[in-house]
Amino acid sequence: MSIELWASILAGALALAAPLAIAGIGEGFVERAGRLNLGIEGMMILGAFTGVFAASMFGPSAGLLAAAITGTLLALLMNLLVYTFRANEIVVGLAITMLGLGLSTYLYQLWIPSGQTNISVPTIARIDLGPLTDIPLVGQMIFGQSPLVYAAVLLIVAAWAISRFTRFGLQIRAVGADPASAALRGVRPRAVGARALLIGGALAGLAGATISLGVIGSFTPGMTAGRGYIVLAIVIMGRMTPVGIALGAILFGFLQSFSLLSQSTGIDLPSELYATLPYLVTLVVLVLTSRAQLRRQAGRLRFA
Amino acid sequence: MLTGAVIAVILIVATALIVLAGADPLVGLRGLVEGVSSSPYRIGELLVGATPIALVAITMIPALRAGVFSVGAEGQITIGAITATGAILGVRSLTGDAAPAPLYWVVGMLAGAAGGALFALLPAWLAARWRVNVILSTLLLNYVATGFLGWTLRTWLASPDTTATPQSEKLPEASALPDLIPGTRAHVGILLVIVAVIVFEWWRRSPQATRVAVFAARPALARRLGTTRSRTLYGTMLVSGAGAGIVGWMQIAGVNERLLGSVSGGVGFSGLAVALLGGLLPAGIAVAAVFFSALTVGAIGMQSATGTIPASIADVIKGVLLLGVAVIAASRPGLLASGRASTGRPSGGDDVAPDDDADAGAAPDADAFAGAASDPSADSSPGADPSPSPGPASGTTEGATR
Repeated sequence: MSIELWASILAGALALAAPLAIAGIGEGFVERAGRLNLGIEGMMILGAFTGVFAASMFGPSAGLLAAAITGTLLALLMNLLVYTFRANEIVVGLAITMLGLGLSTYLYQLWIPSGQTNISVPTIARIDLGPLTDIPLVGQMIFGQSPLVYAAVLLIVAAWAISRFTRFGLQIRAVGADPASAALRGVRPRAVGARALLIGGALAGLAGATISLGVIGSFTPGMTAGRGYIVLAIVIMGRMTPVGIALGAILFGFLQSFSLLSQSTGIDLPSELYATLPYLVTLVVLVLTSRAQLRRQAGRLRFA
Repeated sequence: MLTGAVIAVILIVATALIVLAGADPLVGLRGLVEGVSSSPYRIGELLVGATPIALVAITMIPALRAGVFSVGAEGQITIGAITATGAILGVRSLTGDAAPAPLYWVVGMLAGAAGGALFALLPAWLAARWRVNVILSTLLLNYVATGFLGWTLRTWLASPDTTATPQSEKLPEASALPDLIPGTRAHVGILLVIVAVIVFEWWRRSPQATRVAVFAARPALARRLGTTRSRTLYGTMLVSGAGAGIVGWMQIAGVNERLLGSVSGGVGFSGLAVALLGGLLPAGIAVAAVFFSALTVGAIGMQSATGTIPASIADVIKGVLLLGVAVIAASRPGLLASGRASTGRPSGGDDVAPDDDADAGAAPDADAFAGAASDPSADSSPGADPSPSPGPASGTTEGATR
């Protein structure tokens, strides 16, 4: 295997990790607040659609905005049902995913009836970093990425700062750790949870648009391919911390990039194994994380 | 009143979607009705669609009542179909294609059930041993099953002929399930649904059902009744996995006559939705399964009647329907186990019902010590009634079908 191939695998890994990191940061807030959003997949795919749709009319930036709004609206709906109607969070999440998958397919088929060629829209323009991209190997990998990848990095830093230094970050952690005590100290668990969920929704929508507008510039039904669920696994793997989530996203992105380029690696294994590898490794890491968490809890008890 | 409001919302959404497509809602509705009922073949398609969904949903009841939220029926169907195909073709080569039909049926069904059950035991083991979230592990395993199916269809079960889509060779004639209605694809597999209902009614009156219900509400109390977390996980996942595996066999032996890449075809997810929609009771599930199937079959009729409405309108309505059911179930405590047993998250209380702030104070670590028996967060869940009243969801679906 040549070094050039590894460089392109790693470059692909960063590009594929960006949407996972963006949605993962949002879900990190949601889970820190003690909530669970199983509707991420639906929010992502509908965001991917509205992103392309809006981009076809008003340009790629409008697409990103539309996607974030779409995710927020779905999160609002989820929030209404879970808080006001006290519906089961898991069932509502699964239903939102069904709704998002169905609605994106339906609207897409109305927009482009079967038989017509798919519309492709301009992707988010790359920033020309001049000589930096000419550095051998590293140049393309680090400086030739879509701006959305850099945005994801900024988001990770921002999320770390927010959860660590701001009042809101503290409130979220307090509510997630012990809602009753938080309420006693004047934090409103419902309001904090709702805000976290809206952030999670907006970022999930944005992540969907990152998939459709980052590189490809068009929408196909089901294009998120279960990545919304991968996000949930990544957040658990990363113990809800921004850095952990980012590492989980890069791991999955790397495996996916590797499976896409597996044909040229020269390693002769069934192609299905490569395609399954990202999910399989995610499962293994999930097991290892759960095991470590269980051990930690048991250890803490022994000393108590 | 809530049920009425949910039905109204569904009708408004459906109308809005049809108008958005530039079609007349009444023409669309007529297309839907004709798509379901215009010929015996269409009615057969309705049953072909409803049977696997109902079977998956009924066998999923114990798991859902225990609060074990398995989303893996899709993968279990796939694995069941693979093992059933392998077993049937194995019997054929062993007997030189002279095996009697009942032998094929028994072997196919058992192999399917075993395949699905084994594939369901893996996430159950991971959850029992290491508290891996069942929702996530089953979802991830669905992709593993899909990969295995792809490899299977390319290698050890690949058709010797060149075909456009990957598929296995055609199964022997004798292994096919007999048709129930001549001239349609409806097969005798529907009798299995009746068997499943009878078994469920027997189970419902047994001590196990009570234990499962108590486990969902008070895991520590359930241990005094003689059940543990791992026993509940293994037992309920085994039943749902075997059910899904049998559905896998039914799809290859009754419908497709061969193993195809699309064998699960969303039946697993529909089964979960239908189980919830039917209020975790057989009567409601039967109605909901027929309704789900009618939506799918009818939407195709709608598409051809109007020419503009994509058949995927059915998926949107199913999503809205499930949202509505979540709301209705919330207004009747005890109808739906809260699903906490499967999440097993270390963060402590307040996973599902964010309003139970007062109850959520129990120290999560102390609960984790109870280990196998108790769940960190299950203490604040609403009590699950061992014998819930007939599901309100059946009312929803009946109302909406009219």
